Amino acid sequence: MKTYGSEPGIPDPVQVGISELVVSEGDDTLKSYGLGSCLAIALYEPDSEIGGLAHVMLPDGDKAANSDAKPGKYADTAIRALLRRMVERGASYTAVEAKIAGGADMFEFESFGEGVGKRNIAAAREELEKLGVPIIAEDVGGTEGRTVEFTPDSGKLTVKTANGDDGVTEL
Amino acid sequence: MKLDVNALGTFYRMAREGAGLAAGRLTRMTGVETQVGITKLNFMRGTEIRRDFEDGTEKVGIRVELTGGIEGHSVVVFDRSSALRIVETLLSESETETETEEFATEEFDEMNRSAATEVGNIMNNGFVDGWADVLETVIDVSTPEFIEGTSGEPFFGDIDEAPEGGDLALLFHSHIGAVGTEIGFSHYLFPKRESMAQLLEHLRTSDGIEYDKLDGFDRMAEQGAEEVAKTATTLTGIETSVEIRRLNFVSLEAIPEEVSNEKLVGVAFEFDGTPSGYLLFLFDEESAHEIVDAMVPMGAPGDEDGFGEMGTSAIKELGNIMASGFLDGWANVLDTTIDHSTPEFIHDIGAAAVDPVIIQLGENQDFAFVFDTVVVADGREFDCEIYAIPDESDLERALNDLDVDRIDETPTTAEFQEVENT
Repeated sequence: MKTYGSEPGIPDPVQVGISELVVSEGDDTLKSYGLGSCLAIALYEPDSEIGGLAHVMLPDGDKAANSDAKPGKYADTAIRALLRRMVERGASYTAVEAKIAGGADMFEFESFGEGVGKRNIAAAREELEKLGVPIIAEDVGGTEGRTVEFTPDSGKLTVKTANGDDGVTEL
Repeated sequence: MKLDVNALGTFYRMAREGAGLAAGRLTRMTGVETQVGITKLNFMRGTEIRRDFEDGTEKVGIRVELTGGIEGHSVVVFDRSSALRIVETLLSESETETETEEFATEEFDEMNRSAATEVGNIMNNGFVDGWADVLETVIDVSTPEFIEGTSGEPFFGDIDEAPEGGDLALLFHSHIGAVGTEIGFSHYLFPKRESMAQLLEHLRTSDGIEYDKLDGFDRMAEQGAEEVAKTATTLTGIETSVEIRRLNFVSLEAIPEEVSNEKLVGVAFEFDGTPSGYLLFLFDEESAHEIVDAMVPMGAPGDEDGFGEMGTSAIKELGNIMASGFLDGWANVLDTTIDHSTPEFIHDIGAAAVDPVIIQLGENQDFAFVFDTVVVADGREFDCEIYAIPDESDLERALNDLDVDRIDETPTTAEFQEVENT
């Protein structure tokens, strides 16, 4: 959902919808609701406190025709777009670290093969490794949905599952 | 007149662009932060559009006629209270401060009527500019008309292109809200049939589907929904009926956005045949508990997940039988068979139940036809949202195979006929 216009000092988190990515800095909170098999990829650079969150839906953008228009939709193109935008803002490439969450397999349908969530996790790992960005924490797989909140200054990624207070993990 | 997914995709982009520009302009004008909700292409019957307007609230609309690149009517519709609130905001921002005090009034006098018309007009123009950008064409806009009423009649009763009772119309439908307030409005575009046919012809990149076959879509949705309501009543003893039944064309990403961020209880299926796809039944927790109580009279002991083994299997069984009814309804219209998987139970954040399905479909398509259905009960909690999302190419094939003459032979149910005759 897109918001138009803004008032200064809004405490509300910035919502990162499916196929979207947002780069920000400081104590802004970026939030993605209800990730099932989708994957949240958070990149941040501790010194500049610049970071970004992507809510990706599919693994492979290089194969897709519209990945230029929607880089946030695919794991590989989203990671590259996040990195590029962070560096443009002044982040130092070599210091960037990654945290990922999501990629659950909610259903065991025949048409899903080995699992739609697993494909996204594998694609993100591969692309991050290719670019030399270390994954320093992750909460992936399983069969439960997740809601994530990310703050660039601390680099903290809070992961909540539907099971109330028991289900909060801080990465 | 024929349409295909590429043409509909362009229409969808137009609807989104238009909504974005309109929201941006509302923000610039009033200083109020606005948010674009779900944008849809709806295929709706005249009766259903009228039902949208007959929810008992007074509405205010600003209507313009379009010529050029698209011909038809564009209408911005506010709840009366939203319109008054926006006008208040607008007038308090202007310099006529002494007069603003009076706008706590509930009446549309000449001054706030013209302010509302101005707002509506600027928004209509936002939509139109968005469409013109996407189509790379020029669309001319007439002077705006101010309309008040509690039914659809004053808003589109007098325009030729508005669908009659049983006619199926393609509507652009968006909702824009002001953040943190109750202010919201809907937008409708009623295009002229000839203008639409020309556009479709121009945008189409494949053979596509005969427009008249969309009737088959609607009949599928109708049959499926009626079967579900019947089954639910038989199994639970709770009197249920179909509240909303609508065929939407949306981008895949928009589907989970529409689902509540609350924890929901659901049953999911994959189905296979012509068409194949996915079917989800989603209940809020309260309704799910009510269903378990109705189906397991001795009471089912809950576990940490809330429903326990007996509760879970009761909901799965209900889902299973509803799925069979729904898909039989489709198969009946399409004269085919559709098999479905065993039920998968889910108790999780709503969007998380939907995203695996759109991911799977997203490998091969960007958009989907979604059969949205809401089944409700009188006086008791039974709210069930049904999402049926077929694979696009299968659906196209199924519809092309459909014999249009058959559509009329497939029995309809009394309830919708009744509504059509009113």
